[in-house]
Amino acid sequence: MELPVLNDAPKAAGGCSAGSCGSTDDQMDQLPDSIREKVQNHPCYSEDAHHYFARMHVAVAPACNIQCHYCNRKYDCANESRPGVVSELLTPDQAVKKTMAVAATIPQMTVLGIAGPGDPLANPERTFETFRRLSEEAPDIKLCVSTNGLALPDAVEELSKHNIDHVTITINTVDPEIGAKIYPWIFWNNRRIKGVKAAKILIEQQQKGLEMLIAKGILVKVNSVMIPGVNDKHLAEVSKVVKSKGAFLHNVMPLIAEAEHGTFYGVMGQRGPTPDELQDLQDACSGDMNMMRHCRQCRADAVGLLGEDRGDEFTLDKIEDMKIDYQAAMEKRKVIHEAIQAEMDSKRLEKAAKVEQFKQEPKLDTRPVLMAVATSGQGVINMHFGHAKEFLIYEASPDGVRFISHRKADQYCGGDTTCGETESTLMRTIRSLEGCEAVLCSKVGYEPWEQLEAAGIQPNGEHPMEPIEEAVMAVYKEMAAAGKLDAKPEAARASA
Amino acid sequence: MAVKIIESCVNCYACEPVCPSQAIYEAKPHFRVNSKKCTECEGDYPVYQCASICPIEGAILNSLGEAINPPGSLTGIPPEKMAEAMAELQAH
Repeated sequence: MELPVLNDAPKAAGGCSAGSCGSTDDQMDQLPDSIREKVQNHPCYSEDAHHYFARMHVAVAPACNIQCHYCNRKYDCANESRPGVVSELLTPDQAVKKTMAVAATIPQMTVLGIAGPGDPLANPERTFETFRRLSEEAPDIKLCVSTNGLALPDAVEELSKHNIDHVTITINTVDPEIGAKIYPWIFWNNRRIKGVKAAKILIEQQQKGLEMLIAKGILVKVNSVMIPGVNDKHLAEVSKVVKSKGAFLHNVMPLIAEAEHGTFYGVMGQRGPTPDELQDLQDACSGDMNMMRHCRQCRADAVGLLGEDRGDEFTLDKIEDMKIDYQAAMEKRKVIHEAIQAEMDSKRLEKAAKVEQFKQEPKLDTRPVLMAVATSGQGVINMHFGHAKEFLIYEASPDGVRFISHRKADQYCGGDTTCGETESTLMRTIRSLEGCEAVLCSKVGYEPWEQLEAAGIQPNGEHPMEPIEEAVMAVYKEMAAAGKLDAKPEAARASA
Repeated sequence: MAVKIIESCVNCYACEPVCPSQAIYEAKPHFRVNSKKCTECEGDYPVYQCASICPIEGAILNSLGEAINPPGSLTGIPPEKMAEAMAELQAH
């Protein structure tokens, strides 16, 4: 059985451009050793790593120097999960304490990022004080920062001093006319500047900052928010530009816009992209660039594996009482990281062997199928359907299996008696799986089983604890053998 | 002659470092302006620095008590549209 996890251009595009062919792992394999070394245990930069390693953000950077139409500067929403939202603002001292408490408690946490809730580089003192102390006191933690780029050129020198080898720049456009529809204003040279003029300055600073970081050997990922009707047609161009300047990964994220967030786009009724539109754009960009598809657009104070948030365990009053022996924690972390790395390496070899084996088999002549998977990490199917907070979406085709995206589920089973709205929540979850033809979980209950079948999604609990890609391919082959893949049902979509 | 920060302030700190007179300070429940120190940026800048970076419409008043950034001026959301959205939310 097997599957290259091929996050590259659809074959229809005709061959592969250099550097973006093959599976996600292959993409990693094609990176220079120096970069691969840096990203292999970074959950945000490596799709493989995100099944094993955790990250955290500390909210030390409240101020911002620009306004984006998808952002609202209130940050007190415990139930919201999107960038720019936090519950508790931290001082650098509190942030260092929290980071060490999390690192000791969740040893698979490898990465500390500063991402807001404003712009980290618009708060240089708080941001750099946090980085400076962490690089001294917790040298085994990778540091990274994300920024809108306006203050980036002035910060590159300082960034290069603090053991920071990853920077994310949010670049939504390289065209000031489009930028004026995304950014209502910037604060620049002691004035608030609006419109196209503001967007032009921001874009110039972003591009300059990107070039300066690359020149310093700092890894750059570019985030872009996909806004239908605003920059969706333009992002393939952005991808080309940032790749040509040396960014190593592009993360196109869907716009989050709800009226209740009070953002311009939310209130004005700007819609976000559908999963299909997002996937099409990511595929269109992937001919030019390594694409990130596993981003969860987490909060500026998120803690844990991507897709989970354990921030509640590390509130200020709780970390106050924790006594951390970081030397001991570091030793423990080292052992655990080595064990995880060994497990990842052996799985990678197994996967490579399976890919070879798959290539030897007679090639199927069947259409691609999307499948949903419930997992809590480690790259295996290990979650009950009703407990899944999100599903990972994979595409199986005669070329193998590739990771496509994640979809948030409405968790319908809380394990208690608060099940008054069971049915509608279940239906919402099923709706979120639209386009998928199978869902693989460790177990599926009787009621959801029936409703999934009725919705045209085949539930499958036959591959618990099996590696995701292997299980997806096994189910794909069963579907092929059963003659289910000859005709193209309306729900399914080709990768083109 | 002094500006004033009112309760809609979200404590984002953005204004504090840009004040040329160090007149802004952190306080509960929100940042405040020391009216003895505030010069309304006269002699330093042609525009209020705090109000030029503040992201919240209406949070900073001039010495006449008027919002320096009136509703709709920063977000581009027409005030009636915002009121509509908020009323909708209240209804739920």
